[in-house]
Amino acid sequence: MTLRQKMLLMLALTVMGVVAAVGWTGSVRVRHVFEDIDRQQTEMLVGQFQREFNQRGADTAEAVHRMADSDVLKRIAFDLNNGGDSAPYLTVALPLAQEYRLEYLELVAHDGSIISSLQWTARFGYKEPAIGATGKPAFLKQEDLPDGTSEIGVFATRTVTGSDPALYVVGGRQLDAGFLQDFPVPAGTQVLIYRNVSGPFDTHNFAASADALSAAAHYQALVDDARANGQNAEGVVYVTGRREDSMSVTAIPLKAADGNVLAVLVVANSRRNMVEVQRHFRDIAYGIAGLGIIFAVLASLWIAARISRPIEELARAAGQVAAGDWETRVDIRSLDEVGALARSFNNMTRQLSEQRDRLVQTERVAAWRELARRLAHELKNPLTPLQITVENMVRAKKLPKKQFDEVFKESAATLTEEIENLKTIVGRFSDFSKLPKPQVVEMDAREAVRRVVKLYGPALEEKHIELGTSISAEPLMILGDSELLHRALSNLVLNAMDAMPEGGVLTVSAVRAKEVARISVSDTGAGLTPEECERLFTPYYTTKQHGTGLGLAIVQSVVADHNGTIAVESVEGGGARFVIGLPLVGNAHA
Amino acid sequence: MHRRFVISALCVCLTLSAAARTRPHYGGTLRVETAGDPWQMPDGIARRLVLDTLTTASDTGGAQPALAVRWESQNAGHRWEFWIRPGVHFQDGEALTSDTVAAALTDVCSRQTGVGAGAGAASGACPWRTVRGVGASVVFISDSPVPDLPELLAQTEFAVARQDASGAVIGTGPFRVTGFANGALTLVANDDCWSGRPFADAVELRTRRAVRDQWLDLSVGKADIVEVPPELLRQAEQQHMNVLVSRPVDLLALTIAPEGWFASREMRQAAALAVDRTALYNVIFQKQGEVTASLLPESLSGYAFLFASDRDLDRARALRGGATTAAMMLGVDDNSSTMQLAAERLALNLHEAGFSVQVLAAGSRQTSALALRRVHLEAAGAQAALDEMLSRFGQNGAGSMTGTGTDAAALWQQERGVLENETIVPLLWLPRAWAVGERVRDPRLLSDGAPDLSDASLEGAK
Repeated sequence: MTLRQKMLLMLALTVMGVVAAVGWTGSVRVRHVFEDIDRQQTEMLVGQFQREFNQRGADTAEAVHRMADSDVLKRIAFDLNNGGDSAPYLTVALPLAQEYRLEYLELVAHDGSIISSLQWTARFGYKEPAIGATGKPAFLKQEDLPDGTSEIGVFATRTVTGSDPALYVVGGRQLDAGFLQDFPVPAGTQVLIYRNVSGPFDTHNFAASADALSAAAHYQALVDDARANGQNAEGVVYVTGRREDSMSVTAIPLKAADGNVLAVLVVANSRRNMVEVQRHFRDIAYGIAGLGIIFAVLASLWIAARISRPIEELARAAGQVAAGDWETRVDIRSLDEVGALARSFNNMTRQLSEQRDRLVQTERVAAWRELARRLAHELKNPLTPLQITVENMVRAKKLPKKQFDEVFKESAATLTEEIENLKTIVGRFSDFSKLPKPQVVEMDAREAVRRVVKLYGPALEEKHIELGTSISAEPLMILGDSELLHRALSNLVLNAMDAMPEGGVLTVSAVRAKEVARISVSDTGAGLTPEECERLFTPYYTTKQHGTGLGLAIVQSVVADHNGTIAVESVEGGGARFVIGLPLVGNAHA
Repeated sequence: MHRRFVISALCVCLTLSAAARTRPHYGGTLRVETAGDPWQMPDGIARRLVLDTLTTASDTGGAQPALAVRWESQNAGHRWEFWIRPGVHFQDGEALTSDTVAAALTDVCSRQTGVGAGAGAASGACPWRTVRGVGASVVFISDSPVPDLPELLAQTEFAVARQDASGAVIGTGPFRVTGFANGALTLVANDDCWSGRPFADAVELRTRRAVRDQWLDLSVGKADIVEVPPELLRQAEQQHMNVLVSRPVDLLALTIAPEGWFASREMRQAAALAVDRTALYNVIFQKQGEVTASLLPESLSGYAFLFASDRDLDRARALRGGATTAAMMLGVDDNSSTMQLAAERLALNLHEAGFSVQVLAAGSRQTSALALRRVHLEAAGAQAALDEMLSRFGQNGAGSMTGTGTDAAALWQQERGVLENETIVPLLWLPRAWAVGERVRDPRLLSDGAPDLSDASLEGAK
C-alpha cells in the first residue's frame, strides 16, 4: 500500500469514525429523549385513565346510591322484609338499570342471594360476594355472562335506604371501548383495555377503537406478562417488519380489591417520530460521512502533492542510484523537512559521483601503476640475464678464441632464451589488451567442459591429481564462443593444478541452476585468503611465483563478454572453488 | 194497591233482564290474538275452528263422538272401525265420506313421518299401519294393539282436512277461512256446520303478536281473547284481568340424547339430579303449575308424586365423577325469553354438578345433546295422555303395558320404564291461560287449555 493510499485510508477512517461516533451518540440520545417522552406520555395517560376511572366510579356510585334511595326500591325492600315473595321481582333490574343508565345491576337479599340480575337473569338465588364492598368506593369487578364470556366493569354497592334486613343494590358500568372513546388520546398513541383475563389470550377481549384493534394481536406477550406477574410490562412491539411501525408499549394490570388482575390497560406510543428523527440523523451522518470521504480524498490528494510525491520521487531516485545511475538528482525545492531531505540526497549523490570518479581515477592510476610495476617486474627478469650475458660476452672478448667461442655460444643461447621470454611476456600483454570479441553461437556448455577435461586429463594423472566431474544429463544451451570459453576454463584448470603441487582432487561440474548454466572448478589446494579473493581478478595480480597475473583477468573478461558471472569461494587451507554462471538460451542477452 | 203494582212490575223487569242476560246472542266478530301460528299446535286456534276430528276429548278423559258417531274395537285393539256421521259436508259443500277421512288421515301420517310436522305435533308415526274407508266407516289396522285409539283421534293433529283447488284448507268445522290481511286471519261462521252454527258471525285472528301488545289491545278493547303465559299469571291477576286458567297441559322437560358424554346412563342420571325444579317453579314460572318428575300431571295420573323431583347435587357430582366434560350445548325449542331464561337456569344447575353447558342462542339451528322442550298435552285420559306424551318424545311403543288402559299401576310401570332411561327429565307441568274481555260471554277452555271459540258469544251482539 502506497503512502498516498495509507493517508487516504487514515483520513477516511478518521472522518468516518468521528461521524459514526457523533451519529451513534445522537441516535442514542434521540432514542432516550423519545423514550422519556413516551414514559411521560404514558404516565400522563395512566393518570388520566385513573381520573376517568375514578370519575366513572363516582358516577356509578352516585347512580347506585340514588337507586338505593328511590321509592321503588324502598317499596320492594318493605315488601320483601314483610314476607313478600321475591319471585315477582325477577326482572325488575331491567327497568331500573335503564332508568339509572347502568349496564350491570343486581338486587341482592340480605343473605347475599341474588333476587334480580340484569346481566344474568338466571342467576337468581346464587350468592353475590360483591355485597362485601357495601359503602366502599367504586371498585373493579369481573362479571361473568351467560354466554361464557366475562366483562370488566366499575361497580358500587349500597344498601337500600331503611331496609332491615338489608336489601343490596350492586350496580356497575362496563369498562369497554365506549369508556375509551371519551379518552383524549394524542395522535400516534393507542389505548386499549384487555378484559376477561382468565382464559387464554384472545384479541376479541380487547376494547379499543378499530385502528388500535388492528395491532392488538402483537401485544400478546406484554399482556400475558402483566397478567402473570401483576406488574407493569414494557417493551417495543413491531407491528410490521418496519421500524417506523413499531410501538413503545406499556401494559398496566388493573387489579380488583383482592389483588387479582382483572384487566390490562395497554398504552402504545408510536415510535414513528423517533425512527424518522433517527433516520434523519443517520442520513445527515451518512451525508457528512460521504462529504468527509470526499474531503479525505481531496485532502489526501493535496497532501500527496505536498508530501508523498516528493517522498516517492526520493524513493525513485534512490532506486536509480542503487541501480547505478549516480547522476540522479531530485527536483524538490520546498523549504520543509522533505526539501532538506531532497537537498541532502542530491548532495549525497553528487559526492558519490565525485567519489566514484576519483575512485575510478585512482583505480585507473593504480591499475596503470600496477601494470607498470608488473611490466617492469616481468621485463626486468629477462633483462637482467640479458645484461649479464652481454657483460660476460664483453669480458670474454679478452679470452682466447676457443674460450670466447664457448662463452659466446652459451651467451647466445641465454640471450635467445631470454629474448623469447620477453617476447612471450609482451605477447601475453598484447593478447590481454586485444582479447577478441566473442563470436557467440548456440552451443552446449557441457562440450566446453568435456573438452577441457579431456585435454588436461593425462596431465592431471601425471601430477597425481584425482579428477571428479559432474556434468548435467540435460543440455545446457548457451550463446557462447567455444574457443574463449575453452581458454577461460583452461586457465581455471591450470590454476587449480598449480594450487595442488603435491596432488589432490580437482572437481569440474556443469549443471543447470534455474536459468543459468553453472560451471565450477574446485581444488583441494591451500586456498585463498579473503584479501586474495578480493584482488584475484585484478590484472597482473598473482599469488604464484611465476606467471603474468592475467589468467583470471582473462577469465573474468571472457565471462563478462558472455554476460555471465564469476565468483570464488575459498577458505585458507580448504581449497578454492571458482563458479561461472552463464545464462541459458532464452535468458541470454544479445 | 199501587205499591203492590210497583213491586210486581219491578219483579217482572228484573226477571226479564235476568233472562236476557243468560241467553247468548248470535252475531259479532270475536277478536282473538296469539303469539304463535294459528294453524300449529299447541293452540292451533284456526285449526280447531276450521277442522273437526273423528272424536273429541271429554273432560273426564274419554272420547266423545264428533265426525264419528260410534266405534268398535276388534281383534284386541288391532282393528278399529269408526262410523262416519252422515250428512256432514265440507265448507265447500262436498260431502264427508269415509274415503275422504281415510285420505285425510293418511296424509296426516305421511306428513308426520316426513318433513313438515308442526310444533307440538307427534314426533313419531301414526299408531296404525293402514286406514281405509269401508262404506260408511273408516277402518284402522295396526300391528300393535291401540286400546285408546278413540282418545288419540281426538287430538287436533288428526283433524280431517282437504285442500281446495286454490290450496286453501277446507274442513267441516264451525268456521271457514275467508282471507288474511294486515296480519289478521278472518274466519266466518259456517252456517251449515253439522254441530250447529256458532254464535259469533266471525273470528278475527291476529297472530304472531307479542303478549304485551295483546294485553294492551285487550285493555283498550281492541281484542277479546289474549294469551297469558303462566309466568305472567300473577301479574295479570294483579291487573285484575279476567283470566281463564286450564289444568296443567304443558310439560316442560329436559331431553338428553344418549350420545357422547351422555351415552352412559349414570351421566344422564347425574344431569337429571342436578336440575333444580323448585327454582324454575318458584321464580321463573311464578309458582304456576306444578313441579313434576312425571310424564303425566298429578291430576291425570294420580301417581305423579311417586316420581322423585328433588334435587340431589351431591349425588349428581358423585355420579359424574371426576370426568372433565367438553362444553355441551343446550337447545331450546321455543324462542320465548322465558324458555331461554329457564334454559340458562338449567345450564347453571348443570354447571354446579360439573357439566359445562352453553345455551344455544334463540333461533339457532345447531343440534344439541340437551334440549329444553315444552310439550303440549291434548288427551284427557291417562293412557291416551301417556301414549301422546311418549309419541311427542319419540318414544312410541316404549315400555310395556301389562294391564288395561285404565290400570294406574300399569301406567306407572310403563312410565317408570321410560323414565328410568333418563333421556326425558320432566320438570314442570304448566297451565295455559287466557285473558278474556268483557264482551265475551261465558268463556271457557277446552280440556287441553285452548279457548272454546265455537261456543263463544259476544255481549251486545245483534
